[in-house]
Amino acid sequence: MDLFGHMSLQEEITNLFPMNLTSSGNNYGEGMQIMKRLSFWVWLFFFLTGGCAHRPDPVPSLSSSLASFQPRQFMVASNSEQIALVLPETLARSGNGSGDDEGNLNRVPEERMATTADPLESFQSSPEPPEKAGSEKTESKGDLQDEKEAGEEKEVTIADPLEPFNRAMFQFNDKLYFWALKPVVRGYNEVIPEPARISVQNFFINLAFPIRFVSRLLQADFSGAAAEFGRFVVNTIWGVGGLFDPSSSRQLNIPKGDADLGQTLGVYGLGQGFYLVWPILGPSSARDSAGLVGNYFLYPVSYIPPLYASFGVRAYEEVNNTSLRIGDYESLKEAAIDPYVALRDAYAQYRQKKIEARKGKSEPPKPGGVR
Amino acid sequence: MKPLKIILASTLMILAINGTAAAGGLFGPPQPVSKEAGGLHTAIGYWHHQDEYKNGAEHVTRQNQVYSQLGYGAKNWEVYGRIGISDLKISDAFASTQASTTTSKNDFEDNWKFYGTLGAKGFYPFNKTFGIGAFMQGSYSFNDFRDDFSGTQAGASFSSQLRVKNLWDVNLGIGFQVTVPYGIKLYLGPYAYYSEARLSLAAIIPGLNSNTGNLRIHNETNVGGFTGIYVPLSRGFHLNVEGQYSARFSAGAAITYSY
Repeated sequence: MDLFGHMSLQEEITNLFPMNLTSSGNNYGEGMQIMKRLSFWVWLFFFLTGGCAHRPDPVPSLSSSLASFQPRQFMVASNSEQIALVLPETLARSGNGSGDDEGNLNRVPEERMATTADPLESFQSSPEPPEKAGSEKTESKGDLQDEKEAGEEKEVTIADPLEPFNRAMFQFNDKLYFWALKPVVRGYNEVIPEPARISVQNFFINLAFPIRFVSRLLQADFSGAAAEFGRFVVNTIWGVGGLFDPSSSRQLNIPKGDADLGQTLGVYGLGQGFYLVWPILGPSSARDSAGLVGNYFLYPVSYIPPLYASFGVRAYEEVNNTSLRIGDYESLKEAAIDPYVALRDAYAQYRQKKIEARKGKSEPPKPGGVR
Repeated sequence: MKPLKIILASTLMILAINGTAAAGGLFGPPQPVSKEAGGLHTAIGYWHHQDEYKNGAEHVTRQNQVYSQLGYGAKNWEVYGRIGISDLKISDAFASTQASTTTSKNDFEDNWKFYGTLGAKGFYPFNKTFGIGAFMQGSYSFNDFRDDFSGTQAGASFSSQLRVKNLWDVNLGIGFQVTVPYGIKLYLGPYAYYSEARLSLAAIIPGLNSNTGNLRIHNETNVGGFTGIYVPLSRGFHLNVEGQYSARFSAGAAITYSY
């Protein structure tokens, strides 16, 4: 935990995944462990890539993304194998959770805990770990039914009729990252200390308040809109224009959200459409691209004259955001067999989960430092 | 104590070199607002300031200041900075001393201009209830205040502009504090201060107090007293209300949040 109350990336991951994912799978093959790692990194990358086109929030919080994390499977098309991801709550249930499990479980919304699936069930070819089998005996039939239902709704696919174009854009973005962005970010990291970069990130997150606020209102999530408004007021006034995030402190604990107009369209029932990779902006979909237009007009930076100044600010924002997650993309590329497919499926599932979570939401965001 | 000395010395040097000493706004309780273990605090505040200046004739000045504060401190020391906006009103700035000169208005008025404040304080607790502290605080207005006026001089009409440049002040004081139930802190103490500015008139107009073109004005009284109350609110917020009296009475309030 740093001076600003933010957890480092490592701390966040450690808290949310208190156990080594591979350690509980001693009875599984090495390939299984590799695939689990791959699935983890795919998700990790997705959550960390603030430049993704779907994000209205210019600098999405890792923790807020992980807060919506659910047990899931997704396809890695390169080998068409179902990958299951072990979640901390599952591990905690099986008695393998660390002492910090309770705190971590509190981060997961209740509905997700209720529908926690055993993701290992889907891996039919693997033997079941003894401790896992033991823990299942203690679960009620209702729980198992919930898990089954949750498992059935895991698969989310997105059409990709423009795959050649998308792959080209993916390559373009990849080269842009390695040839342009990364060298700049490295220099930036050398000059600007991390607390200052976090403050800059906080500032831009706070600045994107209109996107989240309007989206919440359009979703009829009035308590969420009130929370957003409260966060904005507190962080602007007592956070020195948003440089600090007192709203996330233990005392105030105003929940952080990351609603956007693409999500709002999804809540209205609009499907994702087809997959689309925008140059520079990254992964998106037809629906989320439409949302991007609205997000553009709701983001105050868009109104900085002249136009190139606005783009300059956005570029700086992206450099700053990337500086706080440099190295993650490299890890993804090393771990993934086909990063394009992994990212595409992860994107589709992540967006779908966010919309489903919003649709099924019947109460205000739970306090508890969801960051 | 070594860091405190360094910070105080640095602050003094900055103020001495730039002439941007501190002032303007609440002094706050002698005890640091930051948490004892060390940490940041932020605040927003409003301050209504009144003072008397003289440059031959006396002028009453009034300022309304709104500011945002960021500070860092620990158990016995604290440094802070403020950025705010302030208006300025100087009474009788355009008043004529000659019957042949008339002006369209008497008072100088200009609206919000940016200013900054730096401050540092040290605190020594006698026990859980009583304590004493010392502080230094100074302000500097980054922008000139300007006001246009017109009139007639010996039958000929004129128009001109008065600028108030380099408005700054510095305050030094000692505060005594008592902590009463519910964590409420009451404090009072004496302080000394100095404030000055330069008046610049675009055209020399006979009969006006500011007719020398470039005139330095400063505060008439250099000592005063202050008292205040610091009340804990919920969720880490505190309310600070304070009054100061020297030549005139000034008062304000701030809401602070400690990280």
